Amino acid sequence: MTKPLDVDRKMPIVKKAVSNPYPLKESAIVKWSLITISLLYISLFLILPLISIFVTALEKGWETYVASIVHPDALAAIKLTITVALIVVPLNAVFGIAAAWLITKFTFRGKNLLVTLIDLPFAVSPVIAGLIFILLFGAQGLFGDWLFEHDIKIVFALPGIILATLFVTFPFVARELIPLMQTQGITEEEASISLGASGWKTFFYVTLPNIKWGLLYGLILCNARAIGEFGAVSVVSGHIRGETNTMPLHIEILYNEYQFTAAFAVASIMSILAILTIIIKHIASWKAKEF
Amino acid sequence: MGIQIKNVSKSFGSVKVLKDISVDIKSGELIALLGPSGSGKTTLLRILAGLEGLDEGTILFDGEDITNVSPKERKIGFVFQHYALFRHMNVFENVAYGLKVRPRKTRPSKKEIERKVNELLSLVKLENFQDRYPSQLSGGQRQRVALARALAVEPKVLLLDEPFGALDAKVRKELRRWLRQLHNEFHVTSIFVTHDQEEALDVADRIIVMNNGKIEQIGTPDEVYENPKSPFVYDFLGNVNIFRGRLQNGKLKQGQFEINAPHYLDSHDDAVGYARPHDILIEKEQVDNETVPAKISFIHIVGPTARIELKREDNGEYLEAELPKEQFKNLQIQKGEVVYVRPKQLKVFIPEDFSI
Repeated sequence: MTKPLDVDRKMPIVKKAVSNPYPLKESAIVKWSLITISLLYISLFLILPLISIFVTALEKGWETYVASIVHPDALAAIKLTITVALIVVPLNAVFGIAAAWLITKFTFRGKNLLVTLIDLPFAVSPVIAGLIFILLFGAQGLFGDWLFEHDIKIVFALPGIILATLFVTFPFVARELIPLMQTQGITEEEASISLGASGWKTFFYVTLPNIKWGLLYGLILCNARAIGEFGAVSVVSGHIRGETNTMPLHIEILYNEYQFTAAFAVASIMSILAILTIIIKHIASWKAKEF
Repeated sequence: MGIQIKNVSKSFGSVKVLKDISVDIKSGELIALLGPSGSGKTTLLRILAGLEGLDEGTILFDGEDITNVSPKERKIGFVFQHYALFRHMNVFENVAYGLKVRPRKTRPSKKEIERKVNELLSLVKLENFQDRYPSQLSGGQRQRVALARALAVEPKVLLLDEPFGALDAKVRKELRRWLRQLHNEFHVTSIFVTHDQEEALDVADRIIVMNNGKIEQIGTPDEVYENPKSPFVYDFLGNVNIFRGRLQNGKLKQGQFEINAPHYLDSHDDAVGYARPHDILIEKEQVDNETVPAKISFIHIVGPTARIELKREDNGEYLEAELPKEQFKNLQIQKGEVVYVRPKQLKVFIPEDFSI
């Protein structure tokens, strides 16, 4: 909107400043075209697919929908997914808090290495993460013979699925907490200790309340990923129907068998979980900011 | 509680921040740790609190070695520079914290905690603020909460890290006076860190002047101000004018200028004389050799004092004089005029003094 240098002295120079007092205000055309582009994009790639999931799921009526969800295999998949999440999320919460605490409140040798290693699961493809566990605990794996002798099943069983999910989701809580705890510093903890509080009391009365919203946010992300993880789990699960199939694996099998309605019905359950997660996440991040 | 610091040294990596520090602090004293940033004063305070370890030396509280005792058992109250209030607790909960976290055996009853906290809140004049959160308080109010919180545990020693550093000048002065009063009432041994010489001179019973991890001087405000042991202390405690010269037969000489320095009888080629701005006299006529000619370059009058900046005619160095407004009026001097400057009191240091 800049004009070439105006030689006409009669032109009121201040006029532009008066009519447009905000330096970042865009013209109406730019504003509306940006809004339209983003709305179109979101509708096309996010909202439309989401709606289509529910439409396809309910295509053959409510009864078919309910039947495909209460099918024993589907129920087993839902149960397994929830079990995995219930085990993985608390474990990663403990690990995440411990790692963030260690990294932000202490100085020690190898700290940068630890920070880098925490990010490793983000960098490694989930499939490779799954393969690692096959190579370690599979029949031909490093501990394979020993596990066989002691009759311990890890791969193609619940422990393997949990291990793979743990690996994939372990950065979420730590990554969320480290920057938060870094900005908060350690003076409140020092104050607490100088007032005679023990380490545990300091943690429960001072540190934990200060990070609770950030922690919740990390847990939600961790939970969402634990429920939705496909690649790593697919490698270690063995796809035993009704036993080692999680929800995403179950959906894939149904889909490959051309049972579209059933596949989309289970997918709709996952989508509802995802939408709920987003809502809770939004509230948590809003609370965290307010705090 | 009396505190003895014996030969304490501390390094951070390769940087030595404290070098063989030894101080005796008597019970009930109010001590200022004064020094520029990086002088090690805050580190020393944190070592006393147990928040920082030490490399060498011992610390005794009332004769008892507490060098390896954890901070939570030292019975200290620590007031942090930026208050470090618990942000998720209100004022009442902040002050009550130290009592609430005591082990069950020594924890006072709920009623008793409430009574104690209310007592402290009225002491710091924040009775009506107990439901507020730290973010809803002003800087001065937060500082008072921090003090009340530290006092709640009935510490034997109160340690304050730049307690007034982040406050504006007026609040600062008020809190300073208030701290002094508080100390007169409670007589708890208190040590505060500051880089503000005025604050140290104003409040403390004794001042420990630190520089570069070492103690330059320990003494009452009067002692360190009037009898600074080193050029650093002289310089740090206020504005100075410098007169360089040659020391000979008890006189400091430079060109025509010659002034008595009776404390030094041996000769030195490059001695330095220090004089405070308020120890500078301005004369219109030259009566003897103890004055230097200088041209007035700036006159600034604030309240009862006139601050005059002068440029020496002989070597071009700048001098600063402060005189009462009355006296200034009687002199009838103006900017640009050449006058004669007489240092009333000159403290002479020889090069060895600088290498301390």
